[in-house]
Amino acid sequence: MNSGKRQKFLGGLFVNGTLLLLVILWTIPTLGIFVSSFRNRNDIAVSGWWNIFPHREWKVTREIDPAAAGLNPDGIMEVEGVSGTFDEFRAGLSTPDGERLRWVGNKRLGRIQVEEQVWTVSWNFTLDNYRQVLGGQNFEFTKPDGTVEVVPGDNMSGAFLNSLAVTVPSTVIPILIAAFAAYAFAWMTFPGRRTMFIMVVALLVVPLQIALVPILRDYRALNLNGTFLAIWLAHTGFGLALATYLLYNYISSLPRDILESAFIDGASHFTVFTRLILPLSVPALASFAIFQFLWVWNDYLVALIFLGGNPEFELVTQRMAAIIGARGQDWHLLTAGAFVSMLLPLAVFFGLQRYFVRGLLAGSVKG
Amino acid sequence: MNKSRLLILLSLLLTASILLAACGGKATATPMPEQPTQPEQPPMPEVDFDVMPGGALEEALKGTYKGTTVTVDGAFEGNDPDGVKMKQSVAKFEELTGIKVNYIGNKEFEATISVRVDAGDAPDIADFPQPGKAAQYVAAGKVVDVKSFMSEEWLSRQYNQSWRDMATLNGVEAGVFHRFNGKSLVWYPKKAWDAAGYEIPETWDELMALNQQIADDGDTPWCIGIESGAATGWPATDWTEEMMLRTTSLENYDKWVAGELPFDSPEVKKAIETWSEIWFNDAYVFGGRSSIVSTFFGDSPAPMFQDPPQCWMHKQGNFITGFFPSGTVAGVDYGFFYLPPVDPAYGKPFLVAGDVMVMFNDRPEVRALMEYFTVPQSASGWLEGGGALAAHKTATPDMYGVELERGIAELVAQATSFRFDGSDLMPGEVGAGSFWEHITSYVAGSEDLDTAMKAIDATWPK
Repeated sequence: MNSGKRQKFLGGLFVNGTLLLLVILWTIPTLGIFVSSFRNRNDIAVSGWWNIFPHREWKVTREIDPAAAGLNPDGIMEVEGVSGTFDEFRAGLSTPDGERLRWVGNKRLGRIQVEEQVWTVSWNFTLDNYRQVLGGQNFEFTKPDGTVEVVPGDNMSGAFLNSLAVTVPSTVIPILIAAFAAYAFAWMTFPGRRTMFIMVVALLVVPLQIALVPILRDYRALNLNGTFLAIWLAHTGFGLALATYLLYNYISSLPRDILESAFIDGASHFTVFTRLILPLSVPALASFAIFQFLWVWNDYLVALIFLGGNPEFELVTQRMAAIIGARGQDWHLLTAGAFVSMLLPLAVFFGLQRYFVRGLLAGSVKG
Repeated sequence: MNKSRLLILLSLLLTASILLAACGGKATATPMPEQPTQPEQPPMPEVDFDVMPGGALEEALKGTYKGTTVTVDGAFEGNDPDGVKMKQSVAKFEELTGIKVNYIGNKEFEATISVRVDAGDAPDIADFPQPGKAAQYVAAGKVVDVKSFMSEEWLSRQYNQSWRDMATLNGVEAGVFHRFNGKSLVWYPKKAWDAAGYEIPETWDELMALNQQIADDGDTPWCIGIESGAATGWPATDWTEEMMLRTTSLENYDKWVAGELPFDSPEVKKAIETWSEIWFNDAYVFGGRSSIVSTFFGDSPAPMFQDPPQCWMHKQGNFITGFFPSGTVAGVDYGFFYLPPVDPAYGKPFLVAGDVMVMFNDRPEVRALMEYFTVPQSASGWLEGGGALAAHKTATPDMYGVELERGIAELVAQATSFRFDGSDLMPGEVGAGSFWEHITSYVAGSEDLDTAMKAIDATWPK
């Protein structure tokens, strides 16, 4: 009895310990980026984010002038009871009393620093990265006559609104269509149902990239290119196969009895769909909404092709790509940018997450 | 009920975003080019840049094409620093002609331009950072030859022959150069440099003597890093091109770029061996040869700015100042000099990379903008805000608002010849593939020079 309890306790400890370890492993990079987003560019370049924790650092206490001490850097030098070559002194030599001697600079102009280890933290935080990401940079133009014109860069609010305007309809439209389709495939009988369903499933494996050129041609002919409607339709098309399949699995697993009693009471397909199926499938709808929202929000390629990279329609993902500069020189801004662009998807996820766990099981348990 | 509230919320969001889209949607409509209907033409206004006589720009300045739009695509985003400079550069053109310039670039330009051209949705003008990449569109007959509407006399007045040669692909003058970056520059930490009493080298022997002097002082002269993700190795191709220009003739350089002179030839190998003398000497490179391949090119100059400097020289194009620590000032914290010539017989060549404007659709307002791009004032955003130099012969030092670019422009003016970054002109499989890959293996020491050169030659498309 006792040993059984003990075993249970140990087992629980093992599972929880492993989970904790995994959680820590997964969170550390995010934490690092989060801390870095508050550090200034030079600090990021010179030291790691973990320097915010207490650590020991070498601090200079005094300096020795090698020329005055009569040292010859080309031979073996002896300072404060330590001897070594120039290269050894450059790397740093420890003295018996815990200090370190380090040669700084070249042989002609250098000096020897006496350093000791002290506990320190580097808490030099700044909001500059966020300010630049959200508020945009300022650009200076010096005219030939010497006057300086300052042009403010674009801020992120426009990109945020554009991303919303793309993402929300691109999430809602495919869900609406797919729910109708899934219901039809699951509960209506019509000729070619099986074939059509197989075609939908087959479309799951078609990579969307192969459709870019033909769709762009069609859009051009229809004069749709570069409009929001174009990208809503594109995302709807690309998301519809998965949405239909996912919702079909869920809807087809709903108990037949409920529907049959509704039909006996004289309900039409439309009534059954709106009054029974939709309320019952909210978990599946919500979990697909999360998937589709995240995918569209993070999409870069599709928007680039169909919205045309027009600065007026710039999305958050494009803004993030532009923020690092033409050659990646401003990559430190990505740390702050990542967190800013993460806000909305996180809000959506947490807002819908209670459906998510239920929804993940969508269609997996029949009964 | 909770569920219905969710549905209401979703539909509210949907309508809100449709409204948003409706507000922003207007800008997509591209107005059709209007035919000039006014019988009386106002005279051309006075402008502070040269205009090609009898061209479309002259007509446009009279207001003939007012209300039309020209779409320009490129490799930088409309809202990033280069995008702002582009907007600034064309502002005067828009104001004077009433033609709207719609810049739509993005960072995946190379991928999206081919999709766009294939789908028949080519931009009016594309700003190619590598002229070689435009070659496929020239071969497909999609590009308008600039000679078809610009006179020989005008083009040769605005450009050095070198620039026009570099823009000529398959016999078609595929575009006009707009702006460029100088690559043959060596950066140094000015304050510490002056304190240490080092002299700027004018010849290769002086440079090698300086290397030894710095090494004798116990320091490492160079900071070198070639890591750049999938493009690792490109700084090594720059060094190879610099040495090709300095150890052999321009004809050989051109033949090498065109694929007629193999990598496995004594000329190319000599060029690589020349820089190897510096790179493979552990006393000359900060961190030693083994650190070159693993150091990010943008981080590599950082040790130069430590106090005291860990290295004293770094060769890179003028864009590298963007990577220098914030707060460092040109002329105070750092300076630059021209990478000295090796063999005086080949003069003072200058390696450059730049942007060429390629025209896809032939309409009068597009011609007008192309003609505007042939005057240095069309690059004013970069000249006044820094970041690039004007490729035009008619550019003068007083057009530059930034001391650094003006200094580079003066160095460029002293050069005896120009050549474009060779790897950017080679076919993609080589210039952006095997050349990077095998030169990296050579620097890392996993391949010897002969093996690496033969391997590159083998990938050259037949």
